[in-house]
Amino acid sequence: MISPNISVLDGSLYFTVSLLFVFASFIGYFIFLFTGSKTISKISFGILIAGFIVQTAAFVIRWIYAYKIGIDTPPLVDLYDSLVFFAYVIEIGYIILRIFYDFDALGFIITFIASSALAFATFYPLATSAIEPTIPALQSYWLLYHIMTLFVAYGAFAASFGLGILYLIKNGRENGNKKRGNRFLSLLPESAVIEESIYKVISVGLVFLTAGIVIGAAWADSAWGGYWSWDPKETWSLITWMTYILFIHARFTKGWGGKKMAWIAVIGFAVVIFCYLGVDLIIPGLHSYATPGSSPIL
Amino acid sequence: MLSKLNKFISSVKLAVFLFITIAVLAMIGTFINQGDTIKQYKTIFSPTVYHVLYWLGFLNIYDSWYFIAFSLLLMVNLIAASINMFPRTIKAVFGPYPSFKEVTENKNNKAIYEAIETKKRPEEIKEIIGKKFGALLDQKINENKDETKLYYSKNSIFRFSPYIAHISAIIIIIGVLLNFKYGFRSYTNIKVGGKTNVTYLLKNNKPIKLPFTIRLDRYRTTYYPDGIPKAYISTVSIIQEHIRILTKNIEVNHPLTYKGITIYQASYGHYKPDKYGILVVNLLHINSFKKIIYASTGKFYNSKINNIKFMLTRVLRKGKMSYFPYIIKLNNKKILNFRIIRVKNQNFPLIIARYKNIGFIMTPQLKTYYYSGVEITKNTYVSVVWIGCIILVISLFFSFFFNHEETWISFTGINDAKKTKIEIISIPKKKFNSFYKKFDKKISKIKKFLS
Repeated sequence: MISPNISVLDGSLYFTVSLLFVFASFIGYFIFLFTGSKTISKISFGILIAGFIVQTAAFVIRWIYAYKIGIDTPPLVDLYDSLVFFAYVIEIGYIILRIFYDFDALGFIITFIASSALAFATFYPLATSAIEPTIPALQSYWLLYHIMTLFVAYGAFAASFGLGILYLIKNGRENGNKKRGNRFLSLLPESAVIEESIYKVISVGLVFLTAGIVIGAAWADSAWGGYWSWDPKETWSLITWMTYILFIHARFTKGWGGKKMAWIAVIGFAVVIFCYLGVDLIIPGLHSYATPGSSPIL
Repeated sequence: MLSKLNKFISSVKLAVFLFITIAVLAMIGTFINQGDTIKQYKTIFSPTVYHVLYWLGFLNIYDSWYFIAFSLLLMVNLIAASINMFPRTIKAVFGPYPSFKEVTENKNNKAIYEAIETKKRPEEIKEIIGKKFGALLDQKINENKDETKLYYSKNSIFRFSPYIAHISAIIIIIGVLLNFKYGFRSYTNIKVGGKTNVTYLLKNNKPIKLPFTIRLDRYRTTYYPDGIPKAYISTVSIIQEHIRILTKNIEVNHPLTYKGITIYQASYGHYKPDKYGILVVNLLHINSFKKIIYASTGKFYNSKINNIKFMLTRVLRKGKMSYFPYIIKLNNKKILNFRIIRVKNQNFPLIIARYKNIGFIMTPQLKTYYYSGVEITKNTYVSVVWIGCIILVISLFFSFFFNHEETWISFTGINDAKKTKIEIISIPKKKFNSFYKKFDKKISKIKKFLS
């Protein structure tokens, strides 16, 4: 196990602390669903922001620590760091969305995903928090941009997944039992609002996904000798891209909306998760950070 | 017939079918290792499965004819759909714009309608109202009937961004095809100190001759303190017509480009060691003559002492492993066995053989030849791909976030021109809840102004 001293130094202890915050926020949002109390949702949001601040501090500490021990690439490359960063990005996404829309009900899904990612990072045995030196293939200024853009995309798709679920709940209940006055339903924004935000969030995600893939291709061109090698991760990112492109086309040429779109948002996120974690855990390739001990490609 | 074909080729249904098919094929490609050798496949699959997969083209799916065919069909679909939609877009941007009457008759499910009555004259309110709905592109005034029809349009130019996005996708595909046709990706190993001008294509191992020679001057791996590799560095020189043009270190992420051909550090390794260091000593002049000769078995080497040549030979004794299975053969066929002498406190046994005044001492040194694996590629037209990509990202942004909004406003004098009836119809290109909310806000502001 990691000694507590190291975890203070490299910031991973603070990530664990932020997990507690985010999880507390999740419980708060969960209670909010049943009570509908605005105070509770505000408190939960406050706790989430506190967790977010702790996590920001943890990132700063970790980056500085990595720099001090002689690693000049940002600590974003292994499974632990990437999961932690994933949680971070969807928290930012939710906080921004919360400022523009009255989306308290989304909080419980977002905090659930964020705390799952953080818990997975903390407790999954293969995700070690030790900062390991970067293998030569990753020593590039492209790394930061590649990961940043793709994680913004992943975060947006996570949010669209949450919104899709909300839409389906709202829609299902509205069509089903109309008599039962439902407090939960009244907490949700109008379905038209959810629908639009699904579209907008996916659009943001898609622009960033495209940019991220392009940056990845440019990087591959300078590191591996070709902008596209049909590496499993590359291929899955293309499949993800196609899924959402299909979404956009169905929306505008066929006028698909509502339930179908919500389902696509949910399915799309499943593809994203497979692309993000499944590919690494199941198929070895040039991107496999999730399998320690596998022979690194230069 | 032709219109039917056009309809099919440009249909969204076909696009959806192609998208899904390509995605599924791509998926299959990620679960079956692509481009391995037959030997590797035969360890994974039974011969029947292997033959079926081979026949289906699943072992090299991204180069299979149907994968390329589907991709090209998708491109045709893209172009056809764009061309079919284009006249409508041109009309929406540049006119002639549909009249107020046409819009009211064509029931559009995205349209929103609002009617207000006011005592103010059209001239007074036109300016205030107009500002909220974008640019005034068309107006018709009918004095006899006391009617004014106005047409406003906002963000109309962004109607083109989806076309630009599609064009950029086509540019990318063209770039990829050109690169595929005129470029190559190849691989070669160069021995340290060696040179080569031949490289082997990644896809079929066919050799290609390069227009220059690459010499590997040096290879080294640097490590972090905990033993994890930090960098793989090859020092390579480009040689053309026996003249060294340049020398540069190449590293992963830092390739060398010369005359459009890029050399990447891809791997490294060493050939199986086959040379053993033999210290040859002139026993009469121990201080003056000592030399390590790296000898591989089965070859004669000159000891440089009395011109005596020797050969290192492997002995295989039946039944038992010899402790040291090498002997030395001299040019007059005399065979010397190495004698093993254990020196106290020394791990490595001293192995020596003697012939006249020559001592042969086996040293623990092995001569290994390191090589550096380099990928050599010619990426022509890759800039076309990048230009397409940049346009794609930008045009996607504009397609998603700029919504064309059209507004028709009609002023009609009623009650003998004492009052004006204002009718407003707005139609967005994309049906967004926020559009209708904004519209409501505009209307309430207008009402406030009018009252």
